[in-house]
Amino acid sequence: MVLLECRGVTKLFGALAAVQDFSFLLHSGEILGLIGPNGSGKTTLFNVIAGLYTPDQGKVFFRGKSTLGLPAHAICRLGIAKTSQIMQPFTDMTVWENVLVAALYGGNLPMARAVEKADEVLQFVGLGTLRDDPASKIAVPFRRRLELGRALATGAEVLLLDEVLAGLSSVEIEEALQLLREMRRQGKTLILVEHVMRAVMGVSDRISVIHHGEKIAEGNPREVAGNPLVIEAYLGKRYA
Amino acid sequence: MARYLYSSRIQFIFLLSMGILLLIPLFGLEGYRLRLLALVFMWVALAGCWNLMSGYTGYIDFGPVAYFGIGSYCTALLMIRGNLPFLLSLFLSGGVCAGFAFIIGLVTLRLQGAYFAIATFAVAEALKQIILEGDRLAGVEFFGGSHGLTLPPAPSELFFYYLLLFFMGMVIALTYLLSHTKFGYGLRTVREAGSAAELSGVPTLRVKTQAYMLSSSLIGCVGGVEAYWLTYIIPDDVFHIMRTIQMVIMTLLGGMGTVLGPVIGGSFLTLIAEYLGVKFVYDYLILVGGVIILVIILLPRGVVGEIKRRRGRSRWFF
Repeated sequence: MVLLECRGVTKLFGALAAVQDFSFLLHSGEILGLIGPNGSGKTTLFNVIAGLYTPDQGKVFFRGKSTLGLPAHAICRLGIAKTSQIMQPFTDMTVWENVLVAALYGGNLPMARAVEKADEVLQFVGLGTLRDDPASKIAVPFRRRLELGRALATGAEVLLLDEVLAGLSSVEIEEALQLLREMRRQGKTLILVEHVMRAVMGVSDRISVIHHGEKIAEGNPREVAGNPLVIEAYLGKRYA
Repeated sequence: MARYLYSSRIQFIFLLSMGILLLIPLFGLEGYRLRLLALVFMWVALAGCWNLMSGYTGYIDFGPVAYFGIGSYCTALLMIRGNLPFLLSLFLSGGVCAGFAFIIGLVTLRLQGAYFAIATFAVAEALKQIILEGDRLAGVEFFGGSHGLTLPPAPSELFFYYLLLFFMGMVIALTYLLSHTKFGYGLRTVREAGSAAELSGVPTLRVKTQAYMLSSSLIGCVGGVEAYWLTYIIPDDVFHIMRTIQMVIMTLLGGMGTVLGPVIGGSFLTLIAEYLGVKFVYDYLILVGGVIILVIILLPRGVVGEIKRRRGRSRWFF
């Protein structure tokens, strides 16, 4: 079943098309990797889907309904949650409270249920022991987990994960990938924006490659890795 | 779950203090002291209202006095021109302020940081001018212009003591209860820059507007109480910028975004100004300024903020 669809999405910043006529389908239960060099428009596309930017052309459909014009909080409640590349926890709150807010508002749960949900999510992402620490004081790998936890607590079906693996050691990446697989098993549908190629290749069912705002390739990881256009975009013409 | 939400200790202290304050007039507190205490209640309530909005959301409202003025004038006009009883006028004034805050909020709460402060400041000043000049422009006698309005004679001091105690208690209790509800958590997310709040599903504009309406309507009620208390209001006084500054400074001194902050800041500043005003009739404002500067240098987070920092994270002071 198609859960999310981008149809011809274009986002302009002045004369620059950060995303140009981009389309893709996301099926329920899938992990889609979205890769591309720096500045290729990945994060912009995520922001359009999450409702932070309004597309100049094209539309995003969630369960067949257009999300055009909906504010970000409404899209979150519909079932699309995004984590941010630049982690922004609520700094004057504890780790637990950060997740609680997402459960209360994003998940629209009453207080008692949200409290349970927040604890459950913290256990799941492995932050149980840091529960009462101020969110501003925890280390980067834990902040990534907190971002994941917040997205999970909203109860959204589709999670847009913007570079959740960036800055992690190889052991931490392995743990994080384990977490992503577990999330899929629990029925979540994921889109990963990543730089860490090897990791995305290993975990994604399909890969979509974006370059200068346009889609240059799509397919299973092996096809994409061998595609000359992709190699050119990443390494330059000489290697293609 | 109760352990996450409420501390029975702080509830006990609150109820005990309220009980004592309820009873002390019966044991011979009267005249100047009674009046002074009522004044403290008023300022704690006002600072508390400001804190409810600006302390929790981080949106610095620099025009809360607009609602103090609207509340004063609304109560006065309803009593004089509408011949309504005081409490009904007061209640209606609160509603008018909430409505007004809704309109102003929808426009100004989209602004960020300093722009919001400037916009709210401008609204308060504009309102003062409208009330000052409105009658002359329209050729009617309604607001009373710079002559002000005289309200019907007020009942006893005790009445205002209890009324202001009620409002103070309500603001404190509301702040305390709110900070443990969904709405309270929503408010605290608004403070963070960026999109994190929206991405967590918080409808930020709605949450801000609701807080602004609540805060403004309570400020309006306190304004109405003061109008009836003093029985005479003029625009220059009820819309005076000093009132805004006092609400802000009191909250900053006590600690923004805390339940006890406005209580400590409001009591301290009202009492110290009163004390210095008696001792040094002509230069007391300089001294008050000195005290404020000293406290800000020594306790940049406010009294409660500093205690919280030293004790580590304590739910106690919420």
